Amino acid sequence: MIKDIIDKQVFELKKLWANKRQLTFQVLNLAMIVFSALMIWKGLMFVTKSESPVVVVLSGSMEPAFQRGDILFLNNAKHQVFVGDVVVFKIKDRDIPIVHRILKVHTDADSGEVELLTKGDNNRVDDRGLYAPGQLWLKREDILGKAVGTLRYVGMVTIALNDYPVLKYVLVGMMGLFVLTNKEG
Amino acid sequence: MAKKKQQGKAVETVAAEPVPDEEEEDEEEEEEELELLQVDLGDMVKLKQVLDEAVASVLLEKLDEDYRWDNFKLSIMALACIFAMVAQFAPIPFPESRPLLGVCGCAYFLLSGVLQFIATFIDKDSILLTKPLSPDTEAGKKTSTKNELLKKHGVRVRSNLPRFSEWYSVILEHRMDEKEAKSPFTEQKWSVGKFFDKEGFFDEFGLMKEVEGLYERFEKDKGHFD
Repeated sequence: MIKDIIDKQVFELKKLWANKRQLTFQVLNLAMIVFSALMIWKGLMFVTKSESPVVVVLSGSMEPAFQRGDILFLNNAKHQVFVGDVVVFKIKDRDIPIVHRILKVHTDADSGEVELLTKGDNNRVDDRGLYAPGQLWLKREDILGKAVGTLRYVGMVTIALNDYPVLKYVLVGMMGLFVLTNKEG
Repeated sequence: MAKKKQQGKAVETVAAEPVPDEEEEDEEEEEEELELLQVDLGDMVKLKQVLDEAVASVLLEKLDEDYRWDNFKLSIMALACIFAMVAQFAPIPFPESRPLLGVCGCAYFLLSGVLQFIATFIDKDSILLTKPLSPDTEAGKKTSTKNELLKKHGVRVRSNLPRFSEWYSVILEHRMDEKEAKSPFTEQKWSVGKFFDKEGFFDEFGLMKEVEGLYERFEKDKGHFD
């Protein structure tokens, strides 16, 4: 049965290759579908002013409020942050964003600059151990955004795709194949 | 088995009959190994696709396809993709690139909207657009016609196969400006049972004959107006 499906797809692909105009149309169609998703992401980035408007919680350091696999929606538009806000931040020169809560906010009376200290709800100690060597405080620029919404467990898909990267290629490959050969557009 | 006549339009509705056994014998007599296309009868999208392609190929033997509108749509898609790629691959880091993202995003969604508008309101059910019948075409395709309208305007071929319906209709109309007059057209409806058997094998020759008949009626007609 699977062989039939594969044969049919191969036949469709061959037919597509013969007709360059159709091929161009189908490729552009596929590109537009991918780009639509991308542009929605960029749109979110634009509106929330955050580099990464949607993140997945990777560790259990914020239990019981947030679990591994939860999706968080971030907003970076407001400049001021307060003690108790759940924020996502990145330590300089490190890739992985961290989701923790703000513990302390020190505001410089003259310049208005802030220094922040964070801690995971489920951790014993504050995050000074995580910061770069010699760094005692976070700056506002390190914060990617404040958590404003969440979807439970929906992010498990992302975690699976990350743990088994081959799944990514399989998924995208299959989607691409079916869109190219399905000429509904 | 009734023939429906609709007021004001010359629409022939051919009732459904299962493909009779004689046709299958004919095919065996004419060709030994004829590979017939088989389609899953439940897949309505594929059914319409197969029928549309066959109709288009018959008509393209007589007329030249007009690619201008198609090219226009393709270029809009390409332009939208360019905006998207600029937004994605611009080497400006995030906070500074915000205005660029805004511009590209708006442009992309605008173009996307235009394409949707075209698909829904302008293209509707067209499957083929042709150029007017010029002397070169006549020479190339070995066709000729006395129909003046065919020489002045191209043809728009529209087709309809509603979901869950067995009636496939094809409309040939002249591409005239809506402002001058409603384009004269010729329409014919068939049941899909006329071209597909129970297993889903496609009788392409049968469809070709029917479409040629429709085209001849179209040529002879001075045109019906709605």
